[in-house]
Amino acid sequence: MTRWLSRSALLLVLLIAAYPFIWCLLSSFKSNREIHQPGNLLPSSFDPFAYRLLFSGDFIDFGEVLGRSLLLSGGQALLATLVCSAAGFALAKVGFRAKPLVFVLALLVILYPRQAMSLSVFDWMSDMGMSGSLFGLLLSGAASGLGVIFFTQVFGKVPDELIDLARIEGRSLGGTFFTLIPLISPALTTFAALHFLLCWQDHLLPLLILSHDQLTLPLALSRLSDSSFRIPQAVGLAAGVLSMIPLLLLFGLSFRRMRTALSEWVVS
Amino acid sequence: MYKLRGANACGSSPSLLLLIGPFVCLWGLFWLTPLCNGFGLAMGISVHSGSSYDFIRGWENFIRASEDAKFLHSLKNTLTFVGGTLGILLPLGFFLAAVIFDLKKRWRPICLFLLIVPSLALPGTLATLFYLFFHGKSGALNQFVTIPLGLDPINWMTDPAWILPCLIFQAVWRWTGLITLLLYCGMRSIPQWQFEVARIEGVSSWGRLRTILLPGVRHLIFFSAIFLTIDGLVSFSGAYGLLGGSGGVADAGLLFVTYLYQVAFPGGSGRMDLPLASAMSVLTASIATFCALFLIRLRNRLGIDQ
Repeated sequence: MTRWLSRSALLLVLLIAAYPFIWCLLSSFKSNREIHQPGNLLPSSFDPFAYRLLFSGDFIDFGEVLGRSLLLSGGQALLATLVCSAAGFALAKVGFRAKPLVFVLALLVILYPRQAMSLSVFDWMSDMGMSGSLFGLLLSGAASGLGVIFFTQVFGKVPDELIDLARIEGRSLGGTFFTLIPLISPALTTFAALHFLLCWQDHLLPLLILSHDQLTLPLALSRLSDSSFRIPQAVGLAAGVLSMIPLLLLFGLSFRRMRTALSEWVVS
Repeated sequence: MYKLRGANACGSSPSLLLLIGPFVCLWGLFWLTPLCNGFGLAMGISVHSGSSYDFIRGWENFIRASEDAKFLHSLKNTLTFVGGTLGILLPLGFFLAAVIFDLKKRWRPICLFLLIVPSLALPGTLATLFYLFFHGKSGALNQFVTIPLGLDPINWMTDPAWILPCLIFQAVWRWTGLITLLLYCGMRSIPQWQFEVARIEGVSSWGRLRTILLPGVRHLIFFSAIFLTIDGLVSFSGAYGLLGGSGGVADAGLLFVTYLYQVAFPGGSGRMDLPLASAMSVLTASIATFCALFLIRLRNRLGIDQ
């Protein structure tokens, strides 16, 4: 009985979690009048007018926006993974005097979040001439405190004997680090995917730092849903659907590796 | 000089610097310097025209911030938002993880993946979906919750009493999947012999939940609490998407970062008062740090050592 009840509750939560997105996909083919009847799931016809409008460039250059978001999130995820895994390796496997200090620096980034000081990041980047710079924005999120702690935990689980072996083979410290990379690839994929997700969804810093014509997806979406532009609502929904595809692919392809990495490397 | 764990070899500093250096440089450039810059701005030091004693207005901006009724209101809203999100999300995530853990192996990834779908959507998409699907007289919330209970339909986003619960609903909808995934992975890493012993001793499913699963993921619940507290305190995009940069009717949904944006830039209240906004930012970031440290202290006191 309890099992039956708990499974019914799970089913209900799954429905609440996923059904609106099926509705979103189908509503991207609907007119405004149809959209305002949320009880109706299917559109009267599958005319992809919203997708045509989205790529027509009448409202925003969606292809360019998508490319910019991919470049920013992909670039930042790759850089953050490299920087944090290197620091995590040093913290887990190398003894040096400033080790506790570096650990505290990483912890500080978590405890005193960058988003809370977005204004001063914006002001500082303007002073450095990085206002409107995609590269500056990419660099600003690459030092992830969570990433360093994550990789310290991961490298802590790598047997010391492997380090010995690499040293016997005459590898340098950097060489030893790169030798271990294939071993922790599920953890690398997991962190990169999660960092990509957080960067992909970041709204405030791109809003402050990038110029009006340099939209990322969150900014483009809020422009498309701005009623003053009188854009058909299906266009905003179509943009929402398209913005989820890269993440669904990324998480779909790496989901098994993520579960393995989280279970075996991080949370145990 | 450094020494490798498990190896007798020592190395020189340049190769260690290559590993640590990029993180420390980026930390200094994009965390420490903006922090000092923010504190300088809050103290009224003009960083554009060069620091000068004449520009220093001391603690005046902090006093102005602490006397700003709207700022205090936004903080109260934000703390309620964080408390509400944590209060719902952590028990719900644990419950769902336990139910999924009890399913046959082939169903588990499907359920987990479906649950994380809202986490993969942009907060703007969640806000649009909330407006079009859940909100409104014929929306899902009224059709499936309010009307079946025999109540009048609620206009969720114009009734001040319901604006903040809507923001909490959106946050819970967004994060449930990832928190469940994390707790599920924690449950998977509990040694199998514990379940075997429980089975031999005939422990009920409630007993298994209380004596094996909960202690097994307590450290992850605390980690999730810290993550959600910090994320909630600096939450912006969800409220921005739902309320269009305002605080909603009677500022019932005014969160701290939204107010910060209103104070600092035109388009909000048009005040462009960057020093005051910086002072508010420093105050609130300190609260975020305090909350996180409190949770860590609580975790240590409860003896959750992992």
